[in-house]
Amino acid sequence: MSAPAVADVPVLSVRDLKKYFPIRTGVLSRVSGHVKAVDGVTFDIQAGETFALVGESGCGKSTTGRAILRLTGATDGEVYYQGEDVLGASGERMRRLRKAMQIVFQDPYSALNPRKTVGSAIGEILRVHRMASGAESRERVEEVLVRCGLEAYHSYRYPHEFSGGQRQRVVIARALALDPRFIVADEPISALDVSIQSQIINLLEDLQDSFQLTYLFISHDLSVVRHMADRVGVMYLGKLVEVAEKREFYREPLHPYSQALLSAIPVSDPTVKKKRIILQGDVPSPANPPAGCPFHTRCPYVMDVCRTVPPALLQTETGHSVACHLVHPVT
Amino acid sequence: MRNVDLTAEGMPRKKTSELREVFRHLVRNRAAVVGLTIIGLFVVVSVFAPVFATHDPLAANLGNRLQPPSREHLLGTDELGRDLLSRMFYGGRISLNIGIISVLIGVLIGVPIGAVSGYFGGKLDIITQRFIDIMIAFPGILLAIVVVTVLGVGVENVMIATGIASVPIYARLVRGSVLSIKEQSYVAAARAAGLGDVRIIFRQILPNCLAPIIVQSTFQIATSILWAAGLGFLGLGAQAPTPEWGAILSNGRAYIRTAHHLTTYPGLAILLMVLGFNLVGDGLRDALDPKTRS
Repeated sequence: MSAPAVADVPVLSVRDLKKYFPIRTGVLSRVSGHVKAVDGVTFDIQAGETFALVGESGCGKSTTGRAILRLTGATDGEVYYQGEDVLGASGERMRRLRKAMQIVFQDPYSALNPRKTVGSAIGEILRVHRMASGAESRERVEEVLVRCGLEAYHSYRYPHEFSGGQRQRVVIARALALDPRFIVADEPISALDVSIQSQIINLLEDLQDSFQLTYLFISHDLSVVRHMADRVGVMYLGKLVEVAEKREFYREPLHPYSQALLSAIPVSDPTVKKKRIILQGDVPSPANPPAGCPFHTRCPYVMDVCRTVPPALLQTETGHSVACHLVHPVT
Repeated sequence: MRNVDLTAEGMPRKKTSELREVFRHLVRNRAAVVGLTIIGLFVVVSVFAPVFATHDPLAANLGNRLQPPSREHLLGTDELGRDLLSRMFYGGRISLNIGIISVLIGVLIGVPIGAVSGYFGGKLDIITQRFIDIMIAFPGILLAIVVVTVLGVGVENVMIATGIASVPIYARLVRGSVLSIKEQSYVAAARAAGLGDVRIIFRQILPNCLAPIIVQSTFQIATSILWAAGLGFLGLGAQAPTPEWGAILSNGRAYIRTAHHLTTYPGLAILLMVLGFNLVGDGLRDALDPKTRS
């Protein structure tokens, strides 16, 4: 209850978040190591902002989103929602936080229970939070469905009666039903047909304007991120390597990994000559990350210091935060 | 496999109660209706056994033993000259009860154990599963013998014993299903929405495990009847003069060369009943699944 209602308290603060998955081997399933899926991630998201987490598959961006919502237990670190501790909350406090923080999943086919009508699935959530029941609940369900571009009668339908795009609308409606302030959008469009993707993106933006939502937008599609995001965080091997305002980031990415990612975006004008940075080798295993900078095994500008000293995420004059020895030389 | 229902497209659908919908679909399924009829017949015949029976099922007539089917004894007589048909009518009461009650016991105990074990995982799962391993290592009939020995001889205890003997089967089956279903995003969504573990297990996960449970149960009814017969054969189940299909079957085994009707008809009765439950089970599985229903 002591949440200071000041505008500059970030909606979400993540501090040094870690998620290690134990690797068990042998008959006794002894822990022989850890996959460091998320390894010390720190960022803030301001009210009404869309913060995009980008990176290739397996870099830990989805795990970060899930750990924030406690869908998977974090190994270490802190998460604050409007100054309120999320990872330590329990009971009634946690229920209230759950209401405020929702998630939209990547695959709309597995995100809906095949045995429940859309109406009963959303109605159950409303009932658990004692927001509405009976006729009131039905009204609320129909209201959010219509708000998400569906029809009121769709609440009597089962998930298999919808197309992929419609299902994703249902998933969004379900997240919206609890009237949340913060939504983790975990690759919400990457499982959809290209023709549907823009519709869902527009819906998400429209909802953000109407309800002052704050998004953590997880994606590997940099052109979508360019459209959606206000700020961008680049993850590599469980670590944030660069955080910047969108404009800054697309104008001048500072981390060599960000530069390589951006150079991979296709350009619609075939006459434009573009320098492509092709990375050599594979992403190292997060079970056995390289010492020093996690990117040094593939970095075209690797220096000796990179192999031993892990770079810290430090701010530059332009407001960029970068973890790279090239930008912040070790003294 | 998505079928586009053109007529229903854009048309608001009336909300009907789930139960009525399931029933409506079940009676439209011809195989399920056949199954329901078979089970219904068995139930009626068992309940009204005194009406249908032409003879006293316990009245022995040694001068008339091992007679083949005739007008007087429609299905022949057994080794003590008792009327087989009458004995089977009365036996149905016990066998139906054994089949249904033991499956109920198995489901009511085994399903929650498997669900909790699979859902929570970790140490609880390891301990539970090692325990289930031990139970599975014994053949079901042996397990039932152990339980009957502990509880004492009697038809009720046979039901409990065969039920307990089927617990590990359900526990293992449900655990497997739960393990795969709990990784689905809708379970994560339920958790993100603040639903409690109990609600998630019973309202989100278990309804999606119904298909294997139903299929297993229809088979388990037959298995339980046969286990009960085995127990009766060992003198642990239904006692000597009490008619029970399994017992009739195993007694008749000694005369299979000279009087095959003693094994053929009880065997057929068990087969028919299992078939009935199977058909209903299949129909129920489809009727409960919204995907096949539409």
